[in-house]
Amino acid sequence: MKSLICIKQSNESGEMNLFDTHAIEEALKLKQKFENRGYQEDFSVDVVTIGPSENSKIIKRAFGMGADKGYHVITKERGYSFSFETASRLAAVAKKESYDLILTGIMSQDLMAGQTGPMLAEILNLPCVTGVVKTELAADNSSIKVEQEMENGFRNGLEIILPAVLTIQAGINTPRYPTLSRMLAAGKKEIMTFNETDLFSKKTGAVQAREIFVSMEDPQKTRAGHLLQGSLADKAKQLFTVLHGKALI
Amino acid sequence: MKQILVIAEMLDGVIQPATWEITAAAAKIKKLKESGQIKIIIPSDDPLPIAKETAKQTGMDVIGLKSNDLKDYDSDVYKQCLFKLVKTIDPSHILTAHTSQGRDFAPGLAISFNAASIACVNEIKKDDKGLLYSRSVLGNTKNMIVRPAEGIPVVLTLMPGVFQPDNFNNQKKGRVEICEIAFDPDCSNTRRIRHEKILQKSCENKTLKGAKIIVSAGRGIGKKENLDAIFKFAQCFSSSAVGVSRPLVDMGWIGYEHQVGITGAAVSPRLYIACGISGSSQHLAGMKDARFVVSINNNPDAPIFRHSDLCIVEDIDPFLQAFLKVVQTK
Ligand SMILES: Cc1cc2nc3c(=O)[nH]c(=O)nc-3n(C[C@H](O)[C@H](O)[C@H](O)COP(=O)(O)OP(=O)(O)OC[C@H]3O[C@@H](n4cnc5c(N)ncnc54)[C@H](O)[C@@H]3O)c2cc1C
Repeated sequence: MKSLICIKQSNESGEMNLFDTHAIEEALKLKQKFENRGYQEDFSVDVVTIGPSENSKIIKRAFGMGADKGYHVITKERGYSFSFETASRLAAVAKKESYDLILTGIMSQDLMAGQTGPMLAEILNLPCVTGVVKTELAADNSSIKVEQEMENGFRNGLEIILPAVLTIQAGINTPRYPTLSRMLAAGKKEIMTFNETDLFSKKTGAVQAREIFVSMEDPQKTRAGHLLQGSLADKAKQLFTVLHGKALI
Repeated sequence: MKQILVIAEMLDGVIQPATWEITAAAAKIKKLKESGQIKIIIPSDDPLPIAKETAKQTGMDVIGLKSNDLKDYDSDVYKQCLFKLVKTIDPSHILTAHTSQGRDFAPGLAISFNAASIACVNEIKKDDKGLLYSRSVLGNTKNMIVRPAEGIPVVLTLMPGVFQPDNFNNQKKGRVEICEIAFDPDCSNTRRIRHEKILQKSCENKTLKGAKIIVSAGRGIGKKENLDAIFKFAQCFSSSAVGVSRPLVDMGWIGYEHQVGITGAAVSPRLYIACGISGSSQHLAGMKDARFVVSINNNPDAPIFRHSDLCIVEDIDPFLQAFLKVVQTK
């Protein structure tokens, strides 16, 4: 069994995207269960990220959690890249090996689009389930049972034939912290790096962006937003007075 | 004149209200573009009755996308059947709701149709170069304005609860067309995704339903033990309940029945007090209909303050203690 986890450094926090930590954890748990069943075959957990060279820090973190191999597609641009570009680059890496299972976070915390996973699946022509909150590998390893979160507390129980892409929702597990010994070893572990030109042939060329960034704006206020002033005690009193005046307390 | 397609949100064979929000967004696109024709697509195993009703109600043209495999939602079936249909229409825009279904199939559809794809759109505008789409980013602290590359169609998923449904007062009835499209599974003769069962986490949200006052806690309360102070705070009010943001449920601090938001409960109390909640779009979706909103957060720039009537910049713990003191003296 080979799994590939797509991870991203958040533009906001500089840390690994929260949902991706859940994706790594889920793969490691599947690996653990797989090994407990005593198969001859290995279960590998590889990670891949795309971004400027300093992003290798999150690959190290993934090694610290227990990941096997790390791939890094080095791009010059900092800032934001849209899902289509990301998914195209990820697909080019994923094609280098035959992965049975590809996991991504349900979305990134900074861009919040949730498109990379399902786009990657379509490019690779694999089935995809988004918003997964439970997984269980079938005994013959040919499929995986998952629960997909829907609205209003409903979940779809699905079985997907492998290879497949799943996007992982928070709440599925508690991501482990990297261990110190693994982190130390991670420093020495090799990360395989690629440039755009390594990934795409001259004929196809680099990925053409389909979305163009225009600007950032402040969201509009939807309510009055009256700010209480004064000391802590003053504010507490004012809140009481306002709520009392509205007969809410 | 290129068409603007609305893909209806279907659940158990019933057209969902989110469809009317997407239709309103499509109308906005048509107005800004000053061209285009809106068509509503209804994917179903038996679309005719729904299509007729929709055409009558909206006055818009409706295409019933018919296939036996479209009875229940399946991303492979949706993507393939929609692609086959959309290819023949060659629209400029394809719109659907940013729901668990919409965000599941729309990005894949965009790939097969070589279209731009913009997710969770919350506003549509234009400048001299064309239409612009706004989407919430960075934990709802900013809106990113995006434009599709020139000359390609665009797939949009629209944030629920943002676009106000139009009041259709139409004299004329829209046209109805039924398109039958067969789903053929790739190479093998089986589907790649098998549907086993639908599970429900909790039957009814009795905890939050009907509460006049909801005191909600977010990650800002710091640790599980601090929920006690939130419960104590809630007890200052009659007919109150405790709500939470999703991470508290995910971390196992409290049960799902307390969760407010797009994947939790939608509440409309007279008073909603958000304690240590940042105000993500997913959380706001569940409490935007509260009559009066008070927020307590130690970050003056927390997005929740834009959506509050009363804003208190303080550490939650000392503030609650100070408030309890005031209550005790009354
Ligand atoms: C598909 C999907 C569905 C989702 N559904 C939901 C949903 O239904 N409901 C939901 O809530 N979320 C949902 N989320 C998660 C959502 O994106 C946010 O991650 C979540 O709402 C953040 O919760 P929070 O505000 O408690 O935490 P954070 O965003 O971490 O905010 C914590 C806040 O506490 C403040 N704070 C910190 N310390 C203190 C202190 N001492 N005193 C006062 N304030 C303090 C901080 O300034 C910050 O503003 C969903 C996400 C996805 C992808």
